[in-house]
Amino acid sequence: MPTYASLALVAVAVSTLAAAPFYLSDYGVGLLIGMSGYVTLATAWALFSGPTRYVSLATVAFFGIGAYTVAVFSETLPYPLVLLLAAAIGGTVAAVVGLSTLRLAGVYFVIFTFGLAELVRQTVTWWEVNITGTLGRYIFLPFEGRHIYWQLLALLTVTMLIGWLIGRSRIGLALKAIGDDEAVAAHAGIDVTRTKLVLFVLSATIITLVGAIQAPRWTYIEPSIVFNPTVSFLTLIMALLGGPMRLWGPMVGAVPLFLLFEWLSANFPNHFSIFLGLLFILIVFVMPNGVLAKLEGIRKGAAQ
Amino acid sequence: MFEHIVNGLVLGGTYALIAMGLTMQYGIARIMNLAFGDTIIVACFGTYLLVSAFALSPLLALLILVPGAFVFSYAVFLALMQPLVARAPNREALEVDSILVTFGLLFVIQGILLVIFGGAYTSYSYLNVGVNVLGTTVSANRLLAFVMALVFGGALMFVLFRTRWGMMLRAVELAPESAPLYGIDVDRVARYAFAVGGALAASGGVVVSMYQTFTATAGVVFTMKALIVVILGGKGSLIGALIAGIVLGIVETLVAAYIDPGLTLAATYAVFLAILLFRPTGLFGSAA
Amino acid sequence: MTLQLEVANLQKRFGGLVAVNDVNFSLQAGEIVGLLGPNGSGKTTVLNMISGALQADGGRVVFRGTELTRQKPHRIAQHGVARTFQLVRPLPTLTVAENVLVSFAFGRYRHWGREAEKLVEEKLEFVGLEGRGRERVGNLTYIDQKRMELARALASEPSLLLLDEWLAGLNPSELKTGIELVQHLQGAGITILLVEHIMEAVRALCTRCIVMNAGQIIASGPSAEVLQQKEVILAYLGDDHA
Repeated sequence: MPTYASLALVAVAVSTLAAAPFYLSDYGVGLLIGMSGYVTLATAWALFSGPTRYVSLATVAFFGIGAYTVAVFSETLPYPLVLLLAAAIGGTVAAVVGLSTLRLAGVYFVIFTFGLAELVRQTVTWWEVNITGTLGRYIFLPFEGRHIYWQLLALLTVTMLIGWLIGRSRIGLALKAIGDDEAVAAHAGIDVTRTKLVLFVLSATIITLVGAIQAPRWTYIEPSIVFNPTVSFLTLIMALLGGPMRLWGPMVGAVPLFLLFEWLSANFPNHFSIFLGLLFILIVFVMPNGVLAKLEGIRKGAAQ
Repeated sequence: MFEHIVNGLVLGGTYALIAMGLTMQYGIARIMNLAFGDTIIVACFGTYLLVSAFALSPLLALLILVPGAFVFSYAVFLALMQPLVARAPNREALEVDSILVTFGLLFVIQGILLVIFGGAYTSYSYLNVGVNVLGTTVSANRLLAFVMALVFGGALMFVLFRTRWGMMLRAVELAPESAPLYGIDVDRVARYAFAVGGALAASGGVVVSMYQTFTATAGVVFTMKALIVVILGGKGSLIGALIAGIVLGIVETLVAAYIDPGLTLAATYAVFLAILLFRPTGLFGSAA
Repeated sequence: MTLQLEVANLQKRFGGLVAVNDVNFSLQAGEIVGLLGPNGSGKTTVLNMISGALQADGGRVVFRGTELTRQKPHRIAQHGVARTFQLVRPLPTLTVAENVLVSFAFGRYRHWGREAEKLVEEKLEFVGLEGRGRERVGNLTYIDQKRMELARALASEPSLLLLDEWLAGLNPSELKTGIELVQHLQGAGITILLVEHIMEAVRALCTRCIVMNAGQIIASGPSAEVLQQKEVILAYLGDDHA
């Protein structure tokens, strides 16, 4: 059970973060948007991929679907409805992808999600060029940076809350069992496919919403901007660094890596992906279970 | 129509060749190499460099790039994969680890290519003349590409089915647990299979570069297609990979010709989904 | 006596190999029946088809009037059929208690919360693991992992339990404890299908035996009779014992 002290701590943290835009420059708010966006992406990614160990590379497919939905409908529908629509589209795509791939071995899933973003990008491009006759779109929504930041913060809070609830619920136990041994989990009565599907759809829906909420930041979008595969890779590496099996892991990984990548892309834009690749390899070799597990291991080692 | 079938065959031949490379790495060395397609792209750019800067023929480029890819893949396996194999408690853990590491490798390779060549579509002109094949005009470079795919594929088949070394490879593929009982050094076989897979990828890259444009970021799509062909053909079946490669090549060419070139990847996906849903063991594979 | 399980014309092929060929038998409520035979005779394959781990190529499995053929493993577990595995398969990242809790949470009657915790403690006590719920399964000895696996199987509250060489690898005193545990289960009204190589256990526990060889049933009947049949001894133990 959460103690009142820890509840109060969370409340203070959230309100401090919410108040931050009043004390920061526009650049600072921009950083906060990017950071809270990636923390939410990594946390949502880990909701599904952490316990099940199904490595999803489809993050940007859903992220882009969210952003595109806003671009297409922001002028014809009220904003809250646009968000709902984005969530519904993202969730539906996830359900279709999940139904067709989650019954199969993890490697098929990886490859399928690997190409999904590319498929969605090409299909949207084809659609825009051939059907609508435009490639780019403008988004005119009366949002300032801090409005976007607050929405992301709210989404992050809800995501963390969902993660915390899952950890204490039946479905959380089912996920851990599935991650350990699918066959044993199934013989214990767990509907393995359905459990994975529910979590995948939930995770993808949150990711779609991140894309939708961030879309107004761009003003102008086109497929190559919102379906940039780097988003999937950064999300994955952030969650891995912190440790995808723990609720706070993705956040612990996302904050420093976001700042690092921000600095790198400003100073070494051409060597960004080489660095990213090396970091990936390093993390798998040095701390395959993430920083938090590593720290815990060190602490246990010291205690003995 | 006939023209498209011939072009589809050419493309399919290349896919089959590439898929055989992936089968060597995934089926025998048991490593899902996400940087596989980037080996292909490196070979494309390598050929481009040798052809445009040194005026070499792509056929000569093969002599440099294929052994180069063999050595490179061997080194990658030794340095990155072997430690993962050694520490993995089970097959699933190895699969996840190797996917993540080769994913990192993909970025390193792609990043280096981007720094050197930039992100634009690249191609060079080689044997760009029409040849009459049974009443249809096919460009000579495609024809040569097809012949080369057949030669490489045939050579691999010969090695696998007619030599002692090939028998060892197949033994490890079919029964990795019991192969050591017959005195087969599984780790060694895995290293060589991984290296041969890389060499096949490079030969595929040289072949592709003769008739297609390529970019530094196209590796992902090649990895995807190779895997789709492997699954479609039934994991571990080389004949299956050959037929599946040609099926995919023809489907893509026809979609590009009659529907829209922008939808070839979507068509590839549709094929992939259909197999996963209706025949997960592939067209020629047996149940696991 | 009421019919619990009926297996009719069960078939399974792996590629060209016929692993299970036209197997028929039935179990009455409360029976302990031994399923015997040499390695590779198809015993575990039969168990896998009953529990849904494998799909039968032909034939039917009917449990208490419900057709189980082609049902998924989790449905079969929820219908009241539980199993253990030939090699113990603990869920390594979970604690001992959580391993057992999984079956309570998703098994036949789906318990959760305080009630489930109490039930888990009872099951652990029953198999002799009282007070050890918080331990990591990795820290358990082999016999204790086997106990844990039995507790996990029982936690789905089955009326049919499939034990796949659950008594293998135990020392004589552990074997005695194990046999007593299984006898207790029978007392609780659970029907048991026992794949076993240890003859001592089979004699002590089974009222009836079914003997398989090369995918077919070659003998069945009351244990005492079956175990004496020469053919069985030949098939099972080899020529030396005939």
